[in-house]
Amino acid sequence: MKKYEIKLDRRNFLKNSVSVGLVTIAPGVFLQEIAHGRSLDEPASDKIRWGMLIDTNQCTEDCDACVTACNEEHGIEDFGRPTTDTQWIRKLNLTNEFTGKKYSLPIMCQHCENPPCVDVCPTGASFKRADGIVLVNKHTCIGCRYCMMSCPYKARSFVHENLENQLPHAPRGKGCVESCNLCVHKIDNGENNTACAEACVKDGHQAILFGDLNDPKSEISKQLSEFGAKEIRSDLGLNTAVRYRGI
Amino acid sequence: MYKKLYIKILLTFLLVFFSGTSITHENISHNIDIASGDKCVEPTDIMRAQHHIFLNKQSHDTVVDGIRTKKYSLNNCINCHIQPSADGTYPSVKSEEHFCSGCHIKAAAQVECFDCHASKPFNNVKIEEEISKK
Amino acid sequence: MKNLIRYKSIELDRKVFYPISIVFILLSMCFYAFVTLEHEGHWLTGMNNQIVWGIPHVFAIFLIVAASGILNIASISSVFGVSIYKPLSRLSGLLAIGLLVGGLMVLVLDLGRPDRLIVAMTTFNFKSIFAWNIFLYTGFLFIVVIYLWMMFEGRYNKFVQQVGMFAYAWRIILTTGTGSIFGFLVAKEAYDSAILAPLFIAMSLLFGTAIFIQAIYYIKTTFDVNTEEIIFKRLKKLMLYFILAVFYFTILYHLTNLYATTHHDYEFFLLFEGNIYTYLFWIGQILIGTLLPLYLVSSKKFYNCWNTLLLSSLLVIIGGFVQLYVIIISGQAFPLDIFPGYIESSSFGDGEVAKYIPSIYEFMLGFGGIAIALAIFVLGILSLEFIPDSLDDERLQS
Repeated sequence: MKKYEIKLDRRNFLKNSVSVGLVTIAPGVFLQEIAHGRSLDEPASDKIRWGMLIDTNQCTEDCDACVTACNEEHGIEDFGRPTTDTQWIRKLNLTNEFTGKKYSLPIMCQHCENPPCVDVCPTGASFKRADGIVLVNKHTCIGCRYCMMSCPYKARSFVHENLENQLPHAPRGKGCVESCNLCVHKIDNGENNTACAEACVKDGHQAILFGDLNDPKSEISKQLSEFGAKEIRSDLGLNTAVRYRGI
Repeated sequence: MYKKLYIKILLTFLLVFFSGTSITHENISHNIDIASGDKCVEPTDIMRAQHHIFLNKQSHDTVVDGIRTKKYSLNNCINCHIQPSADGTYPSVKSEEHFCSGCHIKAAAQVECFDCHASKPFNNVKIEEEISKK
Repeated sequence: MKNLIRYKSIELDRKVFYPISIVFILLSMCFYAFVTLEHEGHWLTGMNNQIVWGIPHVFAIFLIVAASGILNIASISSVFGVSIYKPLSRLSGLLAIGLLVGGLMVLVLDLGRPDRLIVAMTTFNFKSIFAWNIFLYTGFLFIVVIYLWMMFEGRYNKFVQQVGMFAYAWRIILTTGTGSIFGFLVAKEAYDSAILAPLFIAMSLLFGTAIFIQAIYYIKTTFDVNTEEIIFKRLKKLMLYFILAVFYFTILYHLTNLYATTHHDYEFFLLFEGNIYTYLFWIGQILIGTLLPLYLVSSKKFYNCWNTLLLSSLLVIIGGFVQLYVIIISGQAFPLDIFPGYIESSSFGDGEVAKYIPSIYEFMLGFGGIAIALAIFVLGILSLEFIPDSLDDERLQS
């Protein structure tokens, strides 16, 4: 006799409500890709390719939580000189010339697979790490700014003034070029997420999703295969790791 | 006709240029002041001669490979060697009170590390833990 | 028939006072600018995150391109056997070295971290045309020194032709490399074109010849070198050919861009919008730098006049600066088209034409390059026999 009895005593009620509660919260927690972190002495590997999926539908024009978070994370100061101040991530407001529709989205270094900035750097300071992150080795950068000329996304900034009080995990200095490094210090320390993605979730928008593009089970891969996404300036054939949805 | 003048100028230049090299490693007192823990990650004489080699290698490993072991990490050096004074402020890297600058200013060997790197600790780090991990 | 050309070096006397004092003034300005920028940072300049290369690079590239072209005078005699230019080869080599060192110095001084020059000379990424250029430029200096040595040492004169040919080939590659700095950039609408390489080669020939004319006139008048008609006429003809060559490549470049709809935004911005670059292009580059000198060197009215040739070479030099300014600055000022078909705006200047107001520091750095070129020239003619004692017709025909 198969009869399912719903036991409505207090114990079962508590058990059920707690498990329902956990199941509800869990996607929010696991969306942040807390995968196994790399240990400190393990080098970055090409088995992983870090990337980002940005859902412009979730992005609003008046929000710049990602920009603020990035600036705080890396100690980027505002000198009141917008043409020379560093911007690793910025909000871009778009209006379609034909339809008139408006969009707002964050844009940063796209971490291309074939980065023009890496091609043109004379000393090899601008390089692509094994796990796909494109960054500047500031020990070797001579500050020639050729990479800035070559970037189709205007991702790079040059530090135009003396800096003080740099954060220990984000060394930056005058005369070197820099750009978004997908919070490489957090990744190497095992927190596999970026400051901007975390801030976006905290702000309630969930427009930025960070994860491993090479892992088919990661949330980003699943969302990419379900909803698809676009590469900016795909005509250039750079195969970027940052993709956009909703535009 | 100008040969004698050239020789005089050359000799003067050489004299001035090389007169500063009387400072050897032994002459500089190191002002080591490790407040916590009792020794550095390497013996003093090895550190004195090779600290830049360790730091250079670490800088390459960290930036290019993402290896962030603590032993030769610059932040780890700073967390131990740069201690606040009684009023809680840290010495400026431009002054001789700073551990690194104490020798580098005397030896007039400029280091460019602190153009970019933080010259003082920011977090409370368990220093005993780091040293014991050697 | 024995070579009757004798060469002389000049005495350290009052005549040299003027160029040396110019060198001193310009170098002091450059030194001051460099020390200030080193301490304060580039925020004092007009360059920013959109216009990353400014006036110093205009000066530097002008000097480097002219250095390659000024050696052409020596090449014409060594490689193409036109003996009339043979007495001028030594000066051509000296000026080439001076201009190149001047240009390189400005580039290095403008780096964000010039203290890392050693890194730049020992760590290379060979996919970068910049890295190749470092070899091409330093190699060029080395080759020209050897070239001069072959010219100076009587027993080695027989090697001048071979070394000259090698130097000629090296020059072509070097100037191609310089043009390709821009030509290889896919991101900017104004660049990303193979035609920039031959355009730069034509510019190098033009600017080099123009500067050489100025130098020859200076030497002729200051150091009493009796120069006859034939040099004047041949240099005038060279100017004519090279003005036409640059004009041809310029027209071709803009015509191609005007044809391709995808390049219309930049071309209309430059050619028709009426901003500063439009005026610089039409008045500075085309009128002053091309049409007016073209008229002056080809018109029968000025057939025999040195002054006209001087004026036209000066106009070419001014026009050349303007041309490089237009290429380098307007190409960067025009905003990137990150989302074609969309109007962009942001806190980082997306979608806007960037403003560039050069600061005095940038000009001072550029003047330093000119000062170094002049200094090397003066030191050269003081120490060694670069100047032919006479350039009259009978000796030249030998």
